[in-house]
Amino acid sequence: MNQQGVEDDEADLTRKQRREQAREQRKALEEEAAAGAKRKARLTQLGIVVAVVVAVVVVILIATGGGGTKKVAPHSTEATQTTAAVNKLIGGIPQNGDTIGNPNAPVTLQYFGDLECPICKEFTLGALPTIIQKWVRTGKVKVEYRSLETATREPEVFKTQQVAALAAGKQNKMWNFVETFYHEQGEEDSGYVNESYIQGIAQQVPGLNLATWTTDRSNAELSNQVASDAQTATNAGFTGTPSFLIGKTGGTPSKLEYSSLTDPTSFNEAIEKLLKA
Amino acid sequence: MSARALRTTLIVLAGLGVALAGYLTYLHYSGTTPPCSIKGNPCSQVQKSRYSELDGVPVALIGLIGYIVILGSLLASESERARFATMALTLGGLGFSAYLTYREVFTLHKICEWCVGSAALMTIMMGLSVWRFLRGDVDARARALAQAQDPEPIAPPLGAAPS
Repeated sequence: MNQQGVEDDEADLTRKQRREQAREQRKALEEEAAAGAKRKARLTQLGIVVAVVVAVVVVILIATGGGGTKKVAPHSTEATQTTAAVNKLIGGIPQNGDTIGNPNAPVTLQYFGDLECPICKEFTLGALPTIIQKWVRTGKVKVEYRSLETATREPEVFKTQQVAALAAGKQNKMWNFVETFYHEQGEEDSGYVNESYIQGIAQQVPGLNLATWTTDRSNAELSNQVASDAQTATNAGFTGTPSFLIGKTGGTPSKLEYSSLTDPTSFNEAIEKLLKA
Repeated sequence: MSARALRTTLIVLAGLGVALAGYLTYLHYSGTTPPCSIKGNPCSQVQKSRYSELDGVPVALIGLIGYIVILGSLLASESERARFATMALTLGGLGFSAYLTYREVFTLHKICEWCVGSAALMTIMMGLSVWRFLRGDVDARARALAQAQDPEPIAPPLGAAPS
């Protein structure tokens, strides 16, 4: 009986151990499955967060960079119309570097501007055409374009765009560049002026040798001129654009106070006064 | 790396981020030119550009708030939810840093070393917090395993969530 009892106990123990082992295995498998499901859930959550972040970044990129970029394609209808308008206004008038008009004109008007300044655009498309027709085309006044940074927020961008205009001046086409820029000016402070934009303006200047223009853009003399213009403006006490100095050619110019940028009366009066003097 | 060491590392990095973004926010509001080792001080040009603000809010301030919230999620009790929050916030921070870096490189054509420093910090934090989130509470698993082998109770680590 004793021998039989011991064998039964051993058999029971083995059965118990087997049951225990099976339970352990089941538990391990369940835990593994649970861990796998949790890992999968975490990966799904990670994927959702990544997708949301990418979507938000794309929205921010569009919202901050979409509206401001304004570039007129060189051969588009708008470009053709601009070129025609600019040509009608200044075509046939002699240019020399930053100056438009008869080199021996008795009166010199210095126009301090920033190509991105919307008030300068108001003047360029407002009072300036009358001044050009009435005084510049007739050889009585010459206008010199001077650079003064106001609306352009990044100094490097300002220097780049103004030097690009001066480089067109090396081929005596600066005023075509400046007029085209103002005609097609983008929204202020929207960051629309980049290399592609500047190239687009240059391509709209009839007869501009782009290879020479590109070489001239790295001419240190031109960036020095931008700095020198800023110094002249500081000496004159100018802080805003457009600002003007006017005087007899070769004489000491004085500040021109204007009452309107679209009505040329203030300019006409100042010019007439100098011509009579 | 233990969960505690990982969390401590992230807290230190977030603290550095708060200091960095705080300094840049101060520079923005004081109008001070940031020191920069690159010729021509592109940092100043980047920080004065139109992209230094998002809808009128300085991006440095957005960064400062971001780092503070991340730090808050790290100082909260260790839990699945807190780890998820840190992971989501650092991923958001990385996305924002990516946007700013894109503007620097492709729009302004300028690189600001302060911004690059913050982007690098956020990238490391994102990597660590994603790793931390995906592996879960490794310390809790280690405790459970130790307890199964030795039923003696083990004191929970500092800051652990009461179970």
